[in-house]
Amino acid sequence: MSSAAIVVDGISFAYGGRRAVDDVGFTVDRGETLGFLGPNGAGKSTTIKMLTGRLRPQTGTITILDMSMPSQASKIQARMGVAFEEKNLYANMTAKENLVFFGRLFGVPDLDPDSLLDRVDLAGRGDDRVAEFSKGMKQRLMIARVLINTPDVLLLDEPTDGLDPVSSQAIRHVIREEAERGAAILLTTHDMAEADKLSDRVAFIDRGRVLVTDTPENLKLTYGTRSVRIRARRDGQIVESVIPLDEPGADERIRQAVAAHELLTIHTQEATLEDIFIHFAGRGLDA
Amino acid sequence: MITIVWAIIRKDVAQMSRDRFFAYITILGLVAYVALFWGLPSTVDETLNLGIHGVGADLLAEQLGAEEGLDLEVFDTSDALEQAVTDGDLVAGVDFPNDFLPAVTTGNQATVTVYVPADTTDDIRTAISGLVRELAYLVAGSALPITPPAEDEIILGPDRAGDQVPLKDKMRPLLAVFLLMMEMMSLASLIAQEIRSKTVTAVLVTPARTTDFLAAKTILGTALAFTEVVLLMVAIGAFGSEPLVLLTALLLAAFLVTGLALLAGSTGRDFIEILLLSVALIVPMMIPAGAALFPGSAAPWIKVLPSYGMTQAIVRASAYGAGWAETAPYLLMTLAWCVGVFAVGVFALKRKVETL
Repeated sequence: MSSAAIVVDGISFAYGGRRAVDDVGFTVDRGETLGFLGPNGAGKSTTIKMLTGRLRPQTGTITILDMSMPSQASKIQARMGVAFEEKNLYANMTAKENLVFFGRLFGVPDLDPDSLLDRVDLAGRGDDRVAEFSKGMKQRLMIARVLINTPDVLLLDEPTDGLDPVSSQAIRHVIREEAERGAAILLTTHDMAEADKLSDRVAFIDRGRVLVTDTPENLKLTYGTRSVRIRARRDGQIVESVIPLDEPGADERIRQAVAAHELLTIHTQEATLEDIFIHFAGRGLDA
Repeated sequence: MITIVWAIIRKDVAQMSRDRFFAYITILGLVAYVALFWGLPSTVDETLNLGIHGVGADLLAEQLGAEEGLDLEVFDTSDALEQAVTDGDLVAGVDFPNDFLPAVTTGNQATVTVYVPADTTDDIRTAISGLVRELAYLVAGSALPITPPAEDEIILGPDRAGDQVPLKDKMRPLLAVFLLMMEMMSLASLIAQEIRSKTVTAVLVTPARTTDFLAAKTILGTALAFTEVVLLMVAIGAFGSEPLVLLTALLLAAFLVTGLALLAGSTGRDFIEILLLSVALIVPMMIPAGAALFPGSAAPWIKVLPSYGMTQAIVRASAYGAGWAETAPYLLMTLAWCVGVFAVGVFALKRKVETL
């Protein structure tokens, strides 16, 4: 058994003449969360469609849990949980009915919907119709649905997009628990801060191609700039200086700045994932 | 596969039962169609109401008064006769002129005026003309120049004189089509809702396959349509001497509308579109059912419509007690349409859900 739960090797897909995914490859290990980051239209959704068996790659291979997708789609899907960006729940059914229905599809007839609802902070709302739920509650129910079959692989598409802090926190908590349990998690998002919090590694995708894959820390250390921002008072005036840490003599400049003046504040500044994305893509996420 | 299909069916039943509009309209429709059926007359009045005026009218009334199926009424004036025809009280009025007897006894021509309502068809007019000639012979005291053939030599099939199939018995396919339309809209709406909300996508990333989804919709749609239309037929007393033939025709009809529902559901995006598509698909289905109400052979273009075979099989089995041999061509025709319509419906829906 391979340690990588998901192995994507050189997959491509074009809609007519437009290449949506171009020679994409990455791996996700068991117990690992890979943030799949890119702007809208970068190729994330097409990649997810191929990973879920809804599109057949025109080139390349996808191996999930040592099985080939899409030729062994049924067996893979039985051990996979997928949360879509759209809140595709049955609105005129209750939360419990939604979970029980999907439990039957996964062959889990003795499903305990209450325990799942409890995990996503929806305890006591099981008998309410989904139509009455807020966006955050629907998203949490989507996450509960993902957990029905205790999946070995989770594909989560924008799981915290536009949610209130309480819902986002509940979902982040579940994602960490699932990773600790040993599930491989592919998290697609355009929220770099969210990816930074949740991902063990991130892969940047833009215009259908993966630009780089590494841990957020390595990316920031390797490609970002670090600096120290010092605010001090001199002759009654507030002076602010920014000292890049990667330049020669940075240590001495900091010492001088701190010693010569009345120090007010001192902050370190690190690059964000968005800075790194701009470094590789030459544009921001909203461009 | 069976477990998954059954799970989808159970979920669909729960969803449909919560769609109050279709639940109410189906029940309401069922009750209304049954009430309409039993409210219609169950016998056919075969009496020919004929008015006469002029020379020999009293004599004719006396001679033909006892004839079965002919009701002769004598009028004192031509104006009264004409008014009665205009009011629709008579099928026709025959006005013999005052010089009728002298003219015919001397071998001369006499002009008899016949009043008919404006909407009288050509075949009825021709029949009335023949009757007038016969009456003229009687008034003139002459024997008919031909001997009428014996009844058993000219009637093909069972003699239904005095036992005509009433209009309401011929209405059964039309009522069935009305009810099936409700069912078709209900299923199409359910499918469109699954596509619009993309819940079908969530289903298809589980071990459920597209074939499971299609099978569940087909089984549910056909079963519901069949159950409802059988209930309707039981309620309007359609099950006579050939219940199996009728059941087969109804099953095929249910299957046919399920295929149409798959097509409408995969194409329509909201309730209004579903309604328009359903009406567009169901109107051609109603035409053969409407044509069955009237005597005579349907136009050739009506015979190629999908519901023609189904309509004929239902009418013949329920109203005339036709068996397998007589209805087989119609059932086979319906089966062929079922296969064609269902294949198109499945193709459209499969393509739709797989490209979401």
